[in-house]
Amino acid sequence: MRVKKVFRKDYLTLLESVLFLDFLKGLSVTLKNLLRKPITTQYPKEKLTPPKRFRGAHGHFVWDGTEPPSLKAIEKFMSYEKAKSRCVACYMCQTACPMPTLFRIEAVQTPDGKKKVTRFEMNLLNCLFCGLCVDACPVGCLTMTDIYELASYSRRDEVFSVEQLEERGKDYKARRGDEPERIWPNDEERKRLWGEIKWSG
Amino acid sequence: MERELIESLLFTVLKVLVVVPVALGVGAYLTWFERKLAGHIQNRMGPTVVGPFGLLQPLADALKLATKESVIPRGADRPVYYLAILLALVPSVLLLALIPWGPAFELGGRVIKPIISDVNVALLLAFAFGSLSVYGTIFSGWASNSKYAFIGSMRKAAVVIAYEVVLGFSVLGVVLLAGTLSTVGIVQAQIERGVWFILYQPVAFVLYMFCMLAESGRVPFDVQEAEAELVTGYNVEYGGMKFGAFPLAEWYLNVIALSAIAVVLFFGGWSGPSILGPLSPYFWFLVKTFGLVFFTMWLHWTLPRFQAKDITDVAWKILLPVAIANVVVTAVVKYFF
Amino acid sequence: MRWLSEEKARRVEKRFGEAVAYYRTEHTAGLKVKKEQLKELLRYLKEREGFKQFVDLTCLDYPERKERFEAVYLLYDPDENERVVVKSSTDGTLPTVTDLWPGAKWAEREAYDMFGVTFEGHENLRRMFLWEGYEHHPLRKDFPLGGYKEVELPSLTELLHGRTDPPSHDFELAHTRLPTLEDLERTEKARLKKKAELVLNWGPLHPGTHGTIWFLFDLEGEKVVQCDVILGQLHRGMEKIAENLHYFQFLPYTDRMDYLSAVCNELAYVETVERLLGVEVPEKARYIRTLFAELQRINSHLLWLGTGALDLGALTVFLYAFREREKIMDILEGNAGYRLTTCFLRIGGVHYDLAEGTLEAVKQFIKTFPESLKEYHALLTRNRIWLRRTKGVGVITKEDVYAYGLTGPVARASGVPYDLRKLQPYAAYDEVEFDVPVGEVGDVYDRYLVRMEEMRQSLRIVEQCVSKLEKLPKDAPYVNKEHPAVMPPREDVYNALEDMVKTFRLVVHGEPAPEGEVYFAGENPRGELGFFVFSKGDGKPYRLRIRSGALYNLSIFPKLIEGRTIADAIALLGSLDPVVGETDR
Repeated sequence: MRVKKVFRKDYLTLLESVLFLDFLKGLSVTLKNLLRKPITTQYPKEKLTPPKRFRGAHGHFVWDGTEPPSLKAIEKFMSYEKAKSRCVACYMCQTACPMPTLFRIEAVQTPDGKKKVTRFEMNLLNCLFCGLCVDACPVGCLTMTDIYELASYSRRDEVFSVEQLEERGKDYKARRGDEPERIWPNDEERKRLWGEIKWSG
Repeated sequence: MERELIESLLFTVLKVLVVVPVALGVGAYLTWFERKLAGHIQNRMGPTVVGPFGLLQPLADALKLATKESVIPRGADRPVYYLAILLALVPSVLLLALIPWGPAFELGGRVIKPIISDVNVALLLAFAFGSLSVYGTIFSGWASNSKYAFIGSMRKAAVVIAYEVVLGFSVLGVVLLAGTLSTVGIVQAQIERGVWFILYQPVAFVLYMFCMLAESGRVPFDVQEAEAELVTGYNVEYGGMKFGAFPLAEWYLNVIALSAIAVVLFFGGWSGPSILGPLSPYFWFLVKTFGLVFFTMWLHWTLPRFQAKDITDVAWKILLPVAIANVVVTAVVKYFF
Repeated sequence: MRWLSEEKARRVEKRFGEAVAYYRTEHTAGLKVKKEQLKELLRYLKEREGFKQFVDLTCLDYPERKERFEAVYLLYDPDENERVVVKSSTDGTLPTVTDLWPGAKWAEREAYDMFGVTFEGHENLRRMFLWEGYEHHPLRKDFPLGGYKEVELPSLTELLHGRTDPPSHDFELAHTRLPTLEDLERTEKARLKKKAELVLNWGPLHPGTHGTIWFLFDLEGEKVVQCDVILGQLHRGMEKIAENLHYFQFLPYTDRMDYLSAVCNELAYVETVERLLGVEVPEKARYIRTLFAELQRINSHLLWLGTGALDLGALTVFLYAFREREKIMDILEGNAGYRLTTCFLRIGGVHYDLAEGTLEAVKQFIKTFPESLKEYHALLTRNRIWLRRTKGVGVITKEDVYAYGLTGPVARASGVPYDLRKLQPYAAYDEVEFDVPVGEVGDVYDRYLVRMEEMRQSLRIVEQCVSKLEKLPKDAPYVNKEHPAVMPPREDVYNALEDMVKTFRLVVHGEPAPEGEVYFAGENPRGELGFFVFSKGDGKPYRLRIRSGALYNLSIFPKLIEGRTIADAIALLGSLDPVVGETDR
């Protein structure tokens, strides 16, 4: 084990203390920064695009022909409509969720023996935004979008119905569905903080 | 005789009417300047939203402060509570009366001095006003019925007691050189010799800077505020415009006035090359003053804060002996040469 | 790091005879002792066998047993790098060990608070986190998970909107009783001994306390005569929550303990569970974990630097520190999806592979960060005011470190090279090179220097991780999905039936953990964060004890501040660097 004593010089030399060299050093740093460009993103006016993996408000992907094989396999057991939520009411998201009260999911059996999801509500007031529900979803329905402005004036506005979730899922897929899993979209706002990065490839 | 008195009174009132609103306005706009400066030092932008470059921000702030609800803490000593605001503001404004903004000039056969009151004990008065302003802090701390405010004001009292003494001694060197206590006289002495007193008295200038920061409660001496310990200390129980008055008086008016006095004492007042014709003395005076104000703010956003007991420690054990030595050396040199 | 050696155990057994029994499990080893001999054994271990550092003390509840509580002491021998568990059963009383290790003071109060076990001889046995007058002991197994409802307060927003119908989801309406102004005055009167003193309430909400801690300072002038710390404003009952969740479900909660170093918390937790389950972690995942844990350490130290400087009046350093923090947060956000509570690690690996462009961004950070470090040094390190505020303040001796169970930079600044990354290497720490910075004096200035140096060392580790990760093939596994207790990545679930079934099983039944106990600690920016998991073989832990570094580091604060001013208090508190999320849990 390599142990390293820290370099400690806890007094000022006479020259330093008479000529205020310590203050001057500090002043030079602040002056240098004064002449630099600010790094601020002017939030409501300018907004950073969240990265692809960002865990924002939830959404539902819909039946649009890009279903994963796991959902195709049970398609015939489900009563669903095109362009509606892919949810199959397997309750996996609810089971994986650390908060038992977050989800409200209900399903019924239609007369022809198929399963129909009648209710899917999420109370985002209880949400940790940990993403365990998305991981648990076996049919590629539940997702987390890049929407992060979720404030509202009433608690019950934070309970989202399946229609709202579908809307968000569709919107998210249209905007960012094909994006590669990059660390962040290379926009001007990030450059202010980061400067020019040499991206490989 | 009577006519002269009335005339001089009239002129004085006129001068006051010019200086005070301008000073208050400039004080308010210094908040904008300081926020912008702090912002850019910290790689931020400062105010940008209200008006171009956020220039209307002080007005917006004033409007906000003026329309705030007035809350007075339970158990507050009401008369003293209000008196504190007055006592904080008035001495800072009074200090402005002693500052010679430019040389005397003739207008319509009458000699006009651009100074509100040219008394021969101006410096003495200046330090008296400076000491008075501490009452604002102490009263506010006492009357607020809050422990934080109380501790803050006690700290300030200790600091001011220590630094008043150092301030007096640090200025004595300049007074000895100029042979007068009048502010106009000191400037003239420098112009006559063709040299600024900072060259003769660099130590005194450093001491004066320390005292100026301590009196106006700026970093590194802002122990009475110390927002991390005392949640802005002595004015924590004031709200709205009442709250706004304290920083305006302490951080801005006081700093302007003390910087102006520093310019008078060490930087030759209004002296400077004549580049703007008759206006150049005023220009130079303001440039020097704002140079010092800028330096104060720059220090404010660079340094950490002393501890109250360290401040008094430094004052009594280091600054005061140095100041006295400075006075003695100056006197001896002056006597023999 | 070893556990109690056979040879030592025999020696102890010989001395104590029947009363002490040696036991060994796969991950731990220790001694079971009768309550009557407990104190004597602990004293013997401390004085004769060298177990002088106090690590932790907790209890377990077995309602079906006659002596329902089991006290668990955890000690450490710094010379031989050895740990020992001491267990003793009791029906409700135990002797205090605060005379042996003053650091046990708060741990005993916590055990009293949570289990109702009384410690005879404790000087101030009050509730640690819950409020005075509360009747229940929440970590007992018979305490209902939802708690006992107290006062119902109507939801303000609902009232504003004029809605009276019951809400569609059950919003939490029950609140606990709040202390009133009269309560405060009563405490104040009770504390004052002299007329000239005053009690300063510092907190629970105060800019200097770095969270919701409540300090009571009895002041004489500006000098602190006595100080009490009241914790619990952020107590969320993490340990109780953990008992009712599967192992993977507790992961997001660990983020919320020390929310400034989420990845480090996750790393400590995940490594603990992996040891219990016997999961091997692929090489790439180990390096990604190390990379992010060290970035997070820099991030956390930067926040300490910023707030510490802010407390001492240097406002600009705060913003400069946040500028660099922003970059690290960007890297974390791009990979994990969240900036603060990342939830990035998984049992058996990491959630995702590195996002495209991560290594370039990290390299850019490595390039620019030393410049910023220089700026911080120029602004603070040799500044006379900074020196005056930090030098000689709050000196912690080596004995204090052992007696109070101090860990992390606080211990190292006092010259104790206690760094778990070296002592019990985990993740990829044994494959990277770095130094352990230590101080000599143990004052605030030394703690400052040690943390500043640690940032430099962390940057070194990050650099090595980057060059290693660049060499690893792009398709190298980042999660050990073969293991039965590890959740497969999402793509596999969509495409393979057996993976889907495995996910179903894990989500519904939890990880198939064997019976046993395991203690593992990670080196967090705020000291040793340990997880003591007792498993009975379900998908949930029977008891999960969280040993918080910040809590123990804070416990020395009242001792250090006595006789100093409140301006020192702020410098001292900043240097101990507690995070309330972790002290309260």
